[in-house]
Amino acid sequence: MNAAELKALQAPLVILIIVLGLAAGLIYELDQMLTGSKRELGQQQAQMREARTRLQKSGEEKELIVRYLPNYQYLQRVGFVGDEQRLNWLEGLRLSNQEAQLFGVQYQIGSQQPYPYAAELNPGQLTIHQSIMKLSFQLLHEGDLMSFLTALGKQGAGFFAVNECKLNRLAAAGSIRYQPNLAAECDIAWITLRPAGPGDRK
Amino acid sequence: MADKLLVSISALQVSVASWRGGRLGACTVFENSEPGLESFKGHLERGPNLPAYVMVDAVEEDYRFESLPHSFGSDRTEMITRKLKQHYRSTPYCSARMQGRDPGKRRDDRYLFCALTNPELISGWLQAIVQRELAVAGIYLLPTVSAMLVEKLKLKQTNLLVVSIHGAGLRLSFFREQQLRISRLARIDGSAGEAIKNYAEEISNTRLYLHALRVMTLDEHLSVLIVDRADTLGGLEQAIGRDNPNIECRRLGKNEIISSLDITAPVLDSSSDALYLHVLGLRAPANNLAPANVTLGFRQHLLRRATYAASAVIALTALAWCAALLYQIFDSRAATESARRQTGELQARYQEATRQFPAAPTTAENLRHAVDVSQRIGATTRTPEIMMGVVGHALESNPAVVLKTFDWRYDTTEFAAAREAAAAPTTAPVFAPPPVTQAGAKRKESALIEGEVRPFRGDYRAAIDSINKFADALSQQPNVGEVKVAKLPLNISPGLTLSGSTTDTRDQAGKAEFVIVVQMKPPA
Repeated sequence: MNAAELKALQAPLVILIIVLGLAAGLIYELDQMLTGSKRELGQQQAQMREARTRLQKSGEEKELIVRYLPNYQYLQRVGFVGDEQRLNWLEGLRLSNQEAQLFGVQYQIGSQQPYPYAAELNPGQLTIHQSIMKLSFQLLHEGDLMSFLTALGKQGAGFFAVNECKLNRLAAAGSIRYQPNLAAECDIAWITLRPAGPGDRK
Repeated sequence: MADKLLVSISALQVSVASWRGGRLGACTVFENSEPGLESFKGHLERGPNLPAYVMVDAVEEDYRFESLPHSFGSDRTEMITRKLKQHYRSTPYCSARMQGRDPGKRRDDRYLFCALTNPELISGWLQAIVQRELAVAGIYLLPTVSAMLVEKLKLKQTNLLVVSIHGAGLRLSFFREQQLRISRLARIDGSAGEAIKNYAEEISNTRLYLHALRVMTLDEHLSVLIVDRADTLGGLEQAIGRDNPNIECRRLGKNEIISSLDITAPVLDSSSDALYLHVLGLRAPANNLAPANVTLGFRQHLLRRATYAASAVIALTALAWCAALLYQIFDSRAATESARRQTGELQARYQEATRQFPAAPTTAENLRHAVDVSQRIGATTRTPEIMMGVVGHALESNPAVVLKTFDWRYDTTEFAAAREAAAAPTTAPVFAPPPVTQAGAKRKESALIEGEVRPFRGDYRAAIDSINKFADALSQQPNVGEVKVAKLPLNISPGLTLSGSTTDTRDQAGKAEFVIVVQMKPPA
């Protein structure tokens, strides 16, 4: 094809290129719109299925609420559900120390962390956290350890799990009758639970 | 069918007609002279820009029927070009058309070569068309156009002679097996009273001429088609039949032409060339005499038209595609809207249902999970109480054993390993992250007991016996899984060096210390 023939074809070729470009652009744009529209439809249908299932299960839901609400409210009161109640824990420590007639308890509470055994507990949409509390105290005899832990559990200051306890015999410092004989160090995990996500019904 | 300009050029006149919407318009006739040419130019100026198809009806024509060796591709093109140059040195208007193969052993290709031997006849008129910048689609000899007439009328005779009256004379075109073999224009004065007789004689002579050319023998049957567009050749059939009994004649009168070829009477009457221009408009024959340089404009016209057509096809396809996409988009949006409306209704019904629920701080599922989790934590937590009971029971039966340290743990890690780790220097903070639990690893209750045997007066055997008895008493407990003596007062392993003195007094004997690791059975 020579230059003259190309020149003769210039206008039709320009039109062909414009038509091709417009067609491709239009089709691409509409295809994108269709993809977005289908995605939106998929999301909306999922929401509809969820809403339908929720409605169908509303009877069961009511039964669940009636059945579990009192226990849940108790767990809220004892500080297991919701934010950490560190003041309650310290108050519980103080009272337990008095009740077990110990010689005082030193404590150190670490930062809150995810509970490492949460997966074993199947918590659903709840998140479980723990704060490790290191306790140091002295005992008259080994039986006081369990008295102290039992007393702490009864204070209703929260849920805790004992991870480790170490007892060391103290050197006898004379013949004083009421003196500590054992030093105890315990690691206990204060466990709290919180509903996660914005789907919580208030 | 595309619009076109049809031009018929003969020695006497030039007929021009436009072909629009598949129909031929009335012909405008110009005298083949200088004034006629000027009028023709004016006519073209006023007319539309259409590609021109030129038909020539002239005595200065040549037809050659030849067999050439069978060939393909460029060899064939080269051979035909050479033949055309050889036959028609003086004219650029020539063409070759293959008409099948010889029945002989060599199966040669049969060609019809034809040419307009007097290019001057059309040069002025062609120049006028080119000056008007009309694209010349092709130049055709009238007999090649009449081949289309035979095809259109579905005439299947083996030997057919088509006879028609034109301004230039009587045209006789011979077809063998529906393919043009030869044609001639006989100048016969049709105005004289003996016209029919003269025509019949010319047809009889043509039969002899065909025999002389060895195109057909006299014994063969010949069919004659008399194209009588003006109904002036009545009686010619009978005249031919009288002289030639083995000639079959058929006259195609005006009415039959009109009904067979879908041409109107006024158009047919407008020129003696109107019928053949109509046939040319229906379909141009393959024997195009125009050289490539003449049809350059037409090729460009075709390319332009094809490009526009491609643009139109692309635009239409894109429109159809877009319409389909738009339909799907609207459909999808309608479905989304419907789903949204239904979701709203379901949510409203759910909200209505929840009004009867007791007020709860979170979802029912969360309530259930929270209670379940609290119960599971309660079931899985341990205290040192059981381990202390186990150790206390073993101590009762081993009064010589005195405990110094009791370390209890409820964890997934091995106690001994943890102890080693604790002994190693570390810069870890006091509250290090909890150890990563292995997937599926269960926590175990274990204790590390450090103690000594009292009193100890250097009798290692008795001390070790006491420690072993203590360890044995521990392992006898039903919930104890494993008891390991990690350290004895004296390491009697053969792999280690052992030193001491038998002269040591009982007071200098040191302590009989030991370390035992107890592991409870894992929870069921």
